[in-house]
Amino acid sequence: MTSPTSVSTRAATSVVTAERFDAAPSYADYLASLVINRDKFQHYAGTVQLSDDDVACFRQLAERSDGPARLLVIGEAWCPDVFRGVPVFAQIAEACGMAMKMVGRDDNPDIMNEFLLSGTARAIPVAVFYTRDHRYIAHWTERPAVANAVVARIKADFAAAHPDLNMKAPGPDGMKIITGFFDARLPEHYPAWQRETIREVRDLLTSAVGVASA
Amino acid sequence: MTAPPTGVPVVYTIRGCDACVKLLEAWTAEGLVFEERRAELSQATLDEARSYGDIVPIIVWPDGRVEQGFRGHLGCYIT
Repeated sequence: MTSPTSVSTRAATSVVTAERFDAAPSYADYLASLVINRDKFQHYAGTVQLSDDDVACFRQLAERSDGPARLLVIGEAWCPDVFRGVPVFAQIAEACGMAMKMVGRDDNPDIMNEFLLSGTARAIPVAVFYTRDHRYIAHWTERPAVANAVVARIKADFAAAHPDLNMKAPGPDGMKIITGFFDARLPEHYPAWQRETIREVRDLLTSAVGVASA
Repeated sequence: MTAPPTGVPVVYTIRGCDACVKLLEAWTAEGLVFEERRAELSQATLDEARSYGDIVPIIVWPDGRVEQGFRGHLGCYIT
């Protein structure tokens, strides 16, 4: 998660103008245009769990003149963090009436360059929140912190269990071992990652807008 | 899984993947004959790539060996 940049600084220099935001496809149009992984977006839409409290919080934020009313998401459909994470943002946007638009990372390098993770990495998805009059509020990147911790732990477990297996050149049999190991351990965490995404975004927005977290 | 019995290395790539770009530039400069399959362009190719690995570039050599990444550079997760 990245810290919000001041409104004045980003507004003066951003390539994401109000007109460019308006011209971007809606999430529904984006889904309709997909040639890969539409089933994954649909599957992970079904696992998002926005609580009544989450909905109330996001609605309260969205009602403020300085609150989030426009959401731009940078993504690519092949990316697992995108097809697992973007449905979360779609449901947040739907719950509180935010306009959500999608742009491709590789078709929009100038936009991506504005939201690089740690100043260098083109990590996606990036969810950028704006006010109704298109002032930048904050952005969130890639995946919740807990996901990185889980993946690191599973990688360490794998290395301990298979010290002789070269993960960069595993061969067909080694690949099956790697895939089986991770497939047996990662998916159980995905619902928690979605819940953590919701929590992190709530914290990000309440902090950026300057209201107490509910 | 669709085996690529082409007689040349098959590499599964994603547009915008830095490691994929490094591989393509290097192999082209070295004059290596290979087949590139862009995984983001069709579900069939993406599924084919996933049957071999979870990080592009994925190289499938004619003898069946599979490699992920390129010369120490790992690219993008696709699963």
